Amino acid sequence: MSYTFDFASVFRNMAPLWDGLLVTIQLTIAANVIGLTLGFVLALLVMSRWRAIRLPVTLFIEFFRCTPAIIQIVWFFYCVPMLFNVFLGSVTMGIMALGLNLAAFNAEAYRASIQAVPREQLDAGVALGLTPFQRVLYIILPTAVRNSVPVLLTNGIGTFQQSALVAIVAVQDLMYQGKTLATLTYRPIETFTIVALVYFAVSFPVSQIVGYLERRREVLAS
Amino acid sequence: MTFNFAVVFKFQDALLLGLLTTLKLTLICIVLGCALGFFLALARTSKSAILRGVSSIYVEFFRGTPVLVQLFWVFFCLPLVLGVELSNLASGVIALTLYMGAITSETFRASLKSVGQEQLDACVALGLSPWARTMNVVLPQAVLRAAPTLLSNCVSLFKESALVSAVGMADLMFVGQNISNNTARPVEVLTVVALIYFVIAFPLTRAVTVIEHRILKRLAV
Repeated sequence: MSYTFDFASVFRNMAPLWDGLLVTIQLTIAANVIGLTLGFVLALLVMSRWRAIRLPVTLFIEFFRCTPAIIQIVWFFYCVPMLFNVFLGSVTMGIMALGLNLAAFNAEAYRASIQAVPREQLDAGVALGLTPFQRVLYIILPTAVRNSVPVLLTNGIGTFQQSALVAIVAVQDLMYQGKTLATLTYRPIETFTIVALVYFAVSFPVSQIVGYLERRREVLAS
Repeated sequence: MTFNFAVVFKFQDALLLGLLTTLKLTLICIVLGCALGFFLALARTSKSAILRGVSSIYVEFFRGTPVLVQLFWVFFCLPLVLGVELSNLASGVIALTLYMGAITSETFRASLKSVGQEQLDACVALGLSPWARTMNVVLPQAVLRAAPTLLSNCVSLFKESALVSAVGMADLMFVGQNISNNTARPVEVLTVVALIYFVIAFPLTRAVTVIEHRILKRLAV
Protein backbone atom coordinates (compact mmCIF):
# COMPACT_ATOMS: atom_id res chain seq x y z
CA MET A 1 0.00 0.00 0.00
CA SER A 2 1.54 3.26 -1.15
CA TYR A 3 -0.59 5.74 0.73
CA THR A 4 0.75 8.33 3.11
CA PHE A 5 -1.62 9.30 5.84
CA ASP A 6 -2.19 12.91 6.66
CA PHE A 7 -4.42 13.19 9.68
CA ALA A 8 -3.25 16.77 10.19
CA SER A 9 -5.44 17.89 7.28
CA VAL A 10 -8.45 16.70 9.28
CA PHE A 11 -7.28 18.17 12.55
CA ARG A 12 -6.86 21.55 10.88
CA ASN A 13 -10.58 21.41 10.05
CA MET A 14 -12.01 20.24 13.33
CA ALA A 15 -14.34 23.24 13.71
CA PRO A 16 -16.96 22.10 11.13
CA LEU A 17 -16.84 18.55 12.50
CA TRP A 18 -17.44 19.91 15.96
CA ASP A 19 -20.43 21.95 14.71
CA GLY A 20 -21.70 18.82 13.02
CA LEU A 21 -21.39 16.79 16.21
CA LEU A 22 -23.43 19.43 18.05
CA VAL A 23 -26.20 19.16 15.44
CA THR A 24 -26.07 15.35 15.70
CA ILE A 25 -26.36 15.49 19.49
CA GLN A 26 -29.17 18.01 19.28
CA LEU A 27 -31.04 15.69 16.87
CA THR A 28 -30.43 12.72 19.15
CA ILE A 29 -31.61 14.38 22.35
CA ALA A 30 -34.71 15.94 20.82
CA ALA A 31 -35.64 12.70 19.03
CA ASN A 32 -35.20 10.81 22.30
CA VAL A 33 -37.51 13.18 24.13
CA ILE A 34 -40.19 12.52 21.50
CA GLY A 35 -39.40 8.81 21.43
CA LEU A 36 -39.56 8.29 25.18
CA THR A 37 -42.82 10.17 25.73
CA LEU A 38 -44.73 9.40 22.54
CA GLY A 39 -43.49 5.82 22.71
CA PHE A 40 -45.08 5.35 26.11
CA VAL A 41 -48.39 6.81 24.97
CA LEU A 42 -48.32 4.55 21.90
CA ALA A 43 -47.60 1.52 24.08
CA LEU A 44 -50.66 2.28 26.23
CA LEU A 45 -52.82 2.85 23.14
CA VAL A 46 -51.67 -0.35 21.48
CA MET A 47 -52.86 -2.32 24.51
CA SER A 48 -56.18 -0.52 24.54
CA ARG A 49 -59.42 -2.46 24.86
CA TRP A 50 -60.88 -0.85 21.72
CA ARG A 51 -59.96 -2.21 18.35
CA ALA A 52 -60.55 1.18 16.72
CA ILE A 53 -57.65 2.59 18.73
CA ARG A 54 -55.46 -0.50 18.64
CA LEU A 55 -55.52 -0.95 14.88
CA PRO A 56 -54.28 2.44 13.64
CA VAL A 57 -51.63 2.60 16.36
CA THR A 58 -50.40 -0.90 15.52
CA LEU A 59 -50.23 0.08 11.86
CA PHE A 60 -48.24 3.19 12.72
CA ILE A 61 -45.77 1.25 14.85
CA GLU A 62 -45.35 -1.61 12.39
CA PHE A 63 -44.95 0.77 9.49
CA PHE A 64 -42.07 2.57 11.17
CA ARG A 65 -40.49 -0.68 12.31
CA CYS A 66 -40.74 -2.43 8.96
CA THR A 67 -39.47 0.19 6.53
CA PRO A 68 -35.91 1.51 6.21
CA ALA A 69 -35.21 4.62 8.27
CA ILE A 70 -33.70 6.27 5.22
CA ILE A 71 -36.97 6.12 3.30
CA GLN A 72 -38.84 7.51 6.29
CA ILE A 73 -36.48 10.47 6.39
CA VAL A 74 -36.54 11.07 2.63
CA TRP A 75 -40.33 10.67 2.66
CA PHE A 76 -40.62 13.19 5.47
CA PHE A 77 -38.46 15.78 3.75
CA TYR A 78 -40.15 15.49 0.35
CA CYS A 79 -43.73 14.61 1.15
CA VAL A 80 -44.67 16.41 4.36
CA PRO A 81 -44.14 19.88 2.84
CA MET A 82 -46.17 18.88 -0.23
CA LEU A 83 -48.98 17.16 1.65
CA PHE A 84 -49.44 19.66 4.43
CA ASN A 85 -48.03 22.72 2.73
CA VAL A 86 -45.66 23.52 5.58
CA PHE A 87 -41.95 23.70 5.65
CA LEU A 88 -40.25 23.59 8.99
CA GLY A 89 -36.51 24.00 9.42
CA SER A 90 -34.49 21.03 8.19
CA VAL A 91 -33.28 20.19 11.69
CA THR A 92 -36.88 20.22 12.97
CA MET A 93 -37.92 17.89 10.15
CA GLY A 94 -35.03 15.60 10.98
CA ILE A 95 -36.01 15.58 14.64
CA MET A 96 -39.60 14.69 13.79
CA ALA A 97 -38.68 11.87 11.43
CA LEU A 98 -36.15 10.38 13.86
CA GLY A 99 -38.47 10.95 16.82
CA LEU A 100 -41.41 9.14 15.25
CA ASN A 101 -39.16 6.28 14.22
CA LEU A 102 -37.79 5.99 17.75
CA ALA A 103 -41.29 6.27 19.26
CA ALA A 104 -42.36 3.18 17.30
CA PHE A 105 -39.39 1.15 18.55
CA ASN A 106 -39.74 2.40 22.12
CA ALA A 107 -43.45 1.59 22.12
CA GLU A 108 -42.54 -2.06 21.55
CA ALA A 109 -40.00 -1.92 24.38
CA TYR A 110 -42.53 -0.41 26.78
CA ARG A 111 -45.25 -2.87 25.71
CA ALA A 112 -42.99 -5.88 26.28
CA SER A 113 -42.03 -4.71 29.76
CA ILE A 114 -45.57 -3.73 30.71
CA GLN A 115 -46.79 -7.18 29.74
CA ALA A 116 -43.93 -8.73 31.69
CA VAL A 117 -45.29 -7.31 34.98
CA PRO A 118 -46.54 -10.45 36.75
CA ARG A 119 -50.31 -10.94 36.85
CA GLU A 120 -50.19 -11.62 40.62
CA GLN A 121 -49.01 -8.10 41.32
CA LEU A 122 -52.11 -6.69 39.64
CA ASP A 123 -54.29 -9.14 41.53
CA ALA A 124 -52.63 -7.97 44.71
CA GLY A 125 -53.44 -4.42 43.68
CA VAL A 126 -57.10 -5.37 43.29
CA ALA A 127 -57.03 -7.14 46.66
CA LEU A 128 -55.60 -4.02 48.27
CA GLY A 129 -58.46 -2.02 46.80
CA LEU A 130 -56.37 0.18 44.50
CA THR A 131 -58.22 1.94 41.70
CA PRO A 132 -57.24 1.02 38.11
CA PHE A 133 -55.41 4.33 37.79
CA GLN A 134 -53.46 3.70 41.00
CA ARG A 135 -52.58 0.21 39.77
CA VAL A 136 -51.08 1.66 36.60
CA LEU A 137 -49.28 4.44 38.44
CA TYR A 138 -47.87 2.55 41.42
CA ILE A 139 -47.54 -1.04 40.20
CA ILE A 140 -47.15 -1.18 36.44
CA LEU A 141 -45.30 2.04 35.72
CA PRO A 142 -42.32 1.72 38.08
CA THR A 143 -41.59 -1.91 37.20
CA ALA A 144 -42.21 -1.46 33.49
CA VAL A 145 -40.05 1.63 33.14
CA ARG A 146 -37.23 0.07 35.15
CA ASN A 147 -37.33 -3.12 33.08
CA SER A 148 -37.33 -1.30 29.79
CA VAL A 149 -34.33 0.95 30.56
CA PRO A 150 -31.70 -1.22 28.78
CA VAL A 151 -33.78 -1.50 25.60
CA LEU A 152 -34.67 2.20 25.69
CA LEU A 153 -30.99 3.11 26.01
CA THR A 154 -30.10 0.78 23.14
CA ASN A 155 -32.83 2.32 20.99
CA GLY A 156 -31.70 5.81 21.99
CA ILE A 157 -28.14 5.16 20.91
CA GLY A 158 -29.53 3.52 17.77
CA THR A 159 -31.15 6.85 16.96
CA PHE A 160 -27.83 8.58 17.53
CA GLN A 161 -26.41 6.33 14.81
CA GLN A 162 -29.47 6.59 12.56
CA SER A 163 -29.22 10.37 12.77
CA ALA A 164 -26.30 10.12 10.32
CA LEU A 165 -28.97 9.49 7.67
CA VAL A 166 -30.13 13.11 7.73
CA ALA A 167 -26.86 13.93 5.97
CA ILE A 168 -28.52 12.52 2.85
CA VAL A 169 -31.14 15.27 2.94
CA ALA A 170 -28.42 17.87 3.60
CA VAL A 171 -28.90 18.52 7.30
CA GLN A 172 -25.46 19.63 8.41
CA ASP A 173 -24.77 16.97 10.99
CA LEU A 174 -21.48 15.21 11.74
CA MET A 175 -21.79 12.85 8.77
CA TYR A 176 -22.58 15.70 6.37
CA GLN A 177 -19.62 17.76 7.57
CA GLY A 178 -17.42 14.69 7.28
CA LYS A 179 -18.55 14.09 3.70
CA THR A 180 -17.92 17.73 2.78
CA LEU A 181 -14.52 17.70 4.42
CA ALA A 182 -13.54 14.45 2.67
CA THR A 183 -14.39 16.00 -0.69
CA LEU A 184 -12.65 19.31 0.06
CA THR A 185 -9.41 17.85 1.36
CA TYR A 186 -9.28 14.70 -0.83
CA ARG A 187 -8.62 12.80 2.37
CA PRO A 188 -11.53 10.35 2.65
CA ILE A 189 -9.65 7.70 4.67
CA GLU A 190 -8.55 10.06 7.40
CA THR A 191 -11.83 11.98 7.52
CA PHE A 192 -14.19 9.01 7.56
CA THR A 193 -11.99 7.21 10.07
CA ILE A 194 -12.15 10.16 12.44
CA VAL A 195 -15.89 10.59 11.90
CA ALA A 196 -16.38 6.88 12.66
CA LEU A 197 -14.25 7.21 15.79
CA VAL A 198 -16.28 10.18 17.00
CA TYR A 199 -19.52 8.23 16.61
CA PHE A 200 -17.90 5.27 18.31
CA ALA A 201 -16.63 7.38 21.20
CA VAL A 202 -20.19 8.43 22.00
CA SER A 203 -21.99 5.09 21.46
CA PHE A 204 -19.48 2.77 23.10
CA PRO A 205 -19.79 4.08 26.68
CA VAL A 206 -23.59 3.91 26.44
CA SER A 207 -23.54 0.33 25.16
CA GLN A 208 -21.19 -0.57 28.03
CA ILE A 209 -23.70 0.93 30.49
CA VAL A 210 -26.45 -1.17 28.90
CA GLY A 211 -24.28 -4.27 29.26
CA TYR A 212 -23.64 -3.44 32.91
CA LEU A 213 -27.36 -2.91 33.62
CA GLU A 214 -28.23 -6.22 31.98
CA ARG A 215 -25.57 -8.14 33.85
CA ARG A 216 -26.71 -6.59 37.12
CA ARG A 217 -30.28 -7.59 36.40
CA GLU A 218 -29.26 -11.17 35.67
CA VAL A 219 -27.44 -11.28 39.01
CA LEU A 220 -30.43 -9.79 40.82
CA ALA A 221 -32.84 -12.18 39.11
CA SER A 222 -30.85 -15.30 40.01
CA MET B 1 -53.14 18.32 -4.27
CA THR B 2 -54.11 15.47 -6.54
CA PHE B 3 -52.53 12.07 -6.50
CA ASN B 4 -51.60 10.10 -9.55
CA PHE B 5 -50.47 6.64 -8.63
CA ALA B 6 -50.58 5.58 -12.29
CA VAL B 7 -47.20 7.31 -12.64
CA VAL B 8 -45.66 4.68 -10.43
CA PHE B 9 -46.94 1.77 -12.51
CA LYS B 10 -45.21 3.10 -15.60
CA PHE B 11 -41.95 2.46 -13.82
CA GLN B 12 -42.75 -0.95 -12.42
CA ASP B 13 -39.98 -2.67 -14.39
CA ALA B 14 -37.36 -0.30 -13.02
CA LEU B 15 -38.67 -0.73 -9.48
CA LEU B 16 -38.65 -4.50 -9.92
CA LEU B 17 -35.02 -4.41 -11.03
CA GLY B 18 -34.19 -2.28 -8.00
CA LEU B 19 -36.00 -4.70 -5.73
CA LEU B 20 -34.07 -7.62 -7.22
CA THR B 21 -30.79 -5.81 -6.51
CA THR B 22 -31.91 -5.18 -2.94
CA LEU B 23 -32.92 -8.81 -2.45
CA LYS B 24 -29.75 -10.16 -4.07
CA LEU B 25 -27.57 -7.95 -1.90
CA THR B 26 -29.53 -8.85 1.24
CA LEU B 27 -29.43 -12.61 0.61
CA ILE B 28 -25.70 -12.69 -0.15
CA CYS B 29 -24.96 -10.68 2.97
CA ILE B 30 -27.25 -12.83 5.13
CA VAL B 31 -25.38 -16.00 4.16
CA LEU B 32 -21.89 -14.51 4.47
CA GLY B 33 -22.77 -12.42 7.52
CA CYS B 34 -24.24 -15.34 9.47
CA ALA B 35 -21.17 -17.47 8.80
CA LEU B 36 -18.89 -14.60 9.85
CA GLY B 37 -21.06 -13.96 12.91
CA PHE B 38 -20.90 -17.57 14.07
CA PHE B 39 -17.12 -17.70 13.91
CA LEU B 40 -16.85 -14.28 15.57
CA ALA B 41 -19.04 -15.55 18.39
CA LEU B 42 -16.74 -18.57 18.78
CA ALA B 43 -13.74 -16.24 18.78
CA ARG B 44 -15.32 -14.06 21.46
CA THR B 45 -15.79 -17.07 23.73
CA SER B 46 -12.41 -18.66 22.96
CA LYS B 47 -9.62 -19.21 25.47
CA SER B 48 -7.10 -17.10 23.58
CA ALA B 49 -7.02 -13.51 24.84
CA ILE B 50 -5.82 -12.20 21.48
CA LEU B 51 -8.75 -13.77 19.58
CA ARG B 52 -11.16 -12.48 22.20
CA GLY B 53 -9.69 -8.99 22.14
CA VAL B 54 -9.59 -8.61 18.36
CA SER B 55 -13.10 -10.00 17.82
CA SER B 56 -14.53 -7.84 20.63
CA ILE B 57 -13.03 -4.66 19.21
CA TYR B 58 -14.35 -5.58 15.77
CA VAL B 59 -17.88 -6.26 17.00
CA GLU B 60 -18.03 -3.20 19.26
CA PHE B 61 -16.72 -0.97 16.51
CA PHE B 62 -19.26 -2.11 13.94
CA ARG B 63 -22.09 -1.93 16.45
CA GLY B 64 -20.95 1.46 17.68
CA THR B 65 -20.77 3.35 14.39
CA PRO B 66 -23.51 4.25 11.89
CA VAL B 67 -23.87 1.82 8.99
CA LEU B 68 -23.77 4.82 6.68
CA VAL B 69 -20.26 5.69 7.87
CA GLN B 70 -19.20 2.07 7.41
CA LEU B 71 -20.57 2.09 3.88
CA PHE B 72 -18.76 5.31 3.02
CA TRP B 73 -15.58 3.91 4.46
CA VAL B 74 -15.79 0.74 2.38
CA PHE B 75 -16.81 2.58 -0.79
CA PHE B 76 -14.28 5.38 -0.68
CA CYS B 77 -11.45 4.21 1.53
CA LEU B 78 -11.12 0.47 1.04
CA PRO B 79 -10.18 0.77 -2.67
CA LEU B 80 -7.44 3.24 -1.68
CA VAL B 81 -6.20 1.00 1.11
CA LEU B 82 -6.24 -2.19 -0.97
CA GLY B 83 -5.14 -0.51 -4.18
CA VAL B 84 -7.81 -2.31 -6.25
CA GLU B 85 -11.01 -1.10 -7.83
CA LEU B 86 -14.05 -2.72 -6.25
CA SER B 87 -17.34 -3.00 -8.09
CA ASN B 88 -20.40 -1.40 -6.51
CA LEU B 89 -21.90 -4.76 -5.65
CA ALA B 90 -18.64 -6.02 -4.15
CA SER B 91 -18.32 -2.93 -1.94
CA GLY B 92 -21.93 -3.21 -0.85
CA VAL B 93 -21.51 -6.89 -0.05
CA ILE B 94 -18.32 -6.26 1.93
CA ALA B 95 -19.80 -3.41 3.97
CA LEU B 96 -23.10 -5.08 4.80
CA THR B 97 -21.48 -8.47 5.47
CA LEU B 98 -19.11 -6.90 7.98
CA TYR B 99 -22.07 -5.21 9.65
CA MET B 100 -24.22 -8.36 9.60
CA GLY B 101 -21.32 -10.37 11.03
CA ALA B 102 -21.09 -7.99 13.97
CA ILE B 103 -24.79 -8.04 14.84
CA THR B 104 -25.31 -11.79 14.35
CA SER B 105 -22.22 -12.56 16.44
CA GLU B 106 -24.05 -11.06 19.44
CA THR B 107 -27.06 -13.26 18.67
CA PHE B 108 -24.90 -16.38 18.40
CA ARG B 109 -22.99 -15.47 21.53
CA ALA B 110 -26.19 -15.39 23.56
CA SER B 111 -27.30 -18.74 22.12
CA LEU B 112 -23.87 -20.32 22.60
CA LYS B 113 -24.12 -19.49 26.28
CA SER B 114 -27.32 -21.49 26.46
CA VAL B 115 -25.54 -24.71 25.40
CA GLY B 116 -24.90 -26.29 28.78
CA GLN B 117 -21.44 -26.99 30.13
CA GLU B 118 -22.50 -30.63 30.72
CA GLN B 119 -22.84 -31.12 26.99
CA LEU B 120 -19.33 -29.85 26.39
CA ASP B 121 -18.09 -32.15 29.15
CA ALA B 122 -19.96 -35.02 27.49
CA CYS B 123 -18.12 -34.23 24.24
CA VAL B 124 -14.80 -34.52 26.05
CA ALA B 125 -15.94 -37.78 27.64
CA LEU B 126 -16.92 -39.14 24.22
CA GLY B 127 -13.56 -38.10 22.83
CA LEU B 128 -14.99 -35.81 20.11
CA SER B 129 -12.56 -33.54 18.33
CA PRO B 130 -13.08 -29.77 18.83
CA TRP B 131 -14.29 -29.52 15.22
CA ALA B 132 -16.89 -32.28 15.68
CA ARG B 133 -17.95 -30.71 18.95
CA THR B 134 -18.50 -27.33 17.33
CA MET B 135 -20.18 -28.61 14.17
CA ASN B 136 -22.33 -31.45 15.52
CA VAL B 137 -23.16 -30.43 19.06
CA VAL B 138 -22.87 -26.67 19.48
CA LEU B 139 -23.84 -25.37 16.02
CA PRO B 140 -27.23 -27.12 15.63
CA GLN B 141 -28.47 -26.02 19.05
CA ALA B 142 -27.04 -22.53 18.76
CA VAL B 143 -28.66 -21.99 15.36
CA LEU B 144 -32.01 -23.32 16.54
CA ARG B 145 -32.12 -21.10 19.60
CA ALA B 146 -30.77 -18.12 17.69
CA ALA B 147 -33.35 -18.55 14.89
CA PRO B 148 -35.88 -15.90 15.97
CA THR B 149 -33.24 -13.25 16.70
CA LEU B 150 -31.33 -14.15 13.53
CA LEU B 151 -34.48 -13.63 11.52
CA SER B 152 -34.97 -10.18 13.01
CA ASN B 153 -31.29 -9.47 12.26
CA CYS B 154 -32.08 -10.39 8.65
CA VAL B 155 -34.99 -7.94 8.62
CA SER B 156 -32.67 -5.23 9.99
CA LEU B 157 -30.17 -6.00 7.25
CA PHE B 158 -32.90 -5.83 4.62
CA LYS B 159 -33.81 -2.37 5.90
CA GLU B 160 -30.20 -1.20 6.24
CA SER B 161 -29.53 -2.33 2.67
CA ALA B 162 -31.47 0.75 1.52
CA LEU B 163 -28.43 2.78 2.59
CA VAL B 164 -26.40 1.59 -0.41
CA SER B 165 -28.52 4.02 -2.44
CA ALA B 166 -26.51 6.81 -0.77
CA VAL B 167 -23.33 5.56 -2.45
CA GLY B 168 -25.00 5.17 -5.83
CA MET B 169 -25.92 1.50 -5.96
CA ALA B 170 -29.10 1.01 -7.99
CA ASP B 171 -31.22 -0.72 -5.35
CA LEU B 172 -34.94 -0.21 -4.73
CA MET B 173 -34.39 2.98 -2.73
CA PHE B 174 -32.06 4.47 -5.36
CA VAL B 175 -34.43 3.67 -8.23
CA GLY B 176 -37.33 5.07 -6.22
CA GLN B 177 -35.53 8.32 -5.50
CA ASN B 178 -34.51 8.65 -9.14
CA ILE B 179 -38.05 8.17 -10.37
CA SER B 180 -39.39 10.54 -7.74
CA ASN B 181 -36.90 13.24 -8.77
CA ASN B 182 -37.58 12.81 -12.48
CA THR B 183 -41.35 12.73 -12.28
CA ALA B 184 -41.60 15.29 -9.46
CA ARG B 185 -44.10 12.96 -7.79
CA PRO B 186 -42.32 12.11 -4.52
CA VAL B 187 -45.50 11.43 -2.56
CA GLU B 188 -46.71 8.62 -4.81
CA VAL B 189 -43.36 7.09 -5.68
CA LEU B 190 -41.78 7.19 -2.22
CA THR B 191 -44.96 5.88 -0.62
CA VAL B 192 -45.05 2.93 -3.00
CA VAL B 193 -41.37 2.21 -2.37
CA ALA B 194 -41.97 2.32 1.38
CA LEU B 195 -44.93 -0.03 0.95
CA ILE B 196 -42.80 -2.50 -1.00
CA TYR B 197 -40.27 -2.59 1.84
CA PHE B 198 -43.11 -2.96 4.32
CA VAL B 199 -44.79 -5.80 2.44
CA ILE B 200 -41.57 -7.80 2.59
CA ALA B 201 -40.38 -6.91 6.09
CA PHE B 202 -43.70 -7.11 7.94
CA PRO B 203 -44.49 -10.83 7.33
CA LEU B 204 -40.92 -11.63 8.36
CA THR B 205 -41.30 -9.85 11.70
CA ARG B 206 -44.54 -11.78 12.26
CA ALA B 207 -42.65 -14.97 11.46
CA VAL B 208 -40.20 -14.10 14.23
CA THR B 209 -43.04 -14.19 16.77
CA VAL B 210 -44.43 -17.41 15.33
CA ILE B 211 -41.06 -19.13 15.54
CA GLU B 212 -40.59 -17.91 19.09
CA HIS B 213 -43.95 -19.12 20.27
CA ARG B 214 -44.69 -22.28 18.35
CA ILE B 215 -41.58 -23.95 17.05
CA LEU B 216 -39.27 -23.32 19.96
CA LYS B 217 -41.89 -24.31 22.51
CA ARG B 218 -42.65 -27.52 20.63
CA LEU B 219 -38.99 -28.39 20.50
CA ALA B 220 -38.70 -27.44 24.16
CA VAL B 221 -35.29 -25.87 23.78
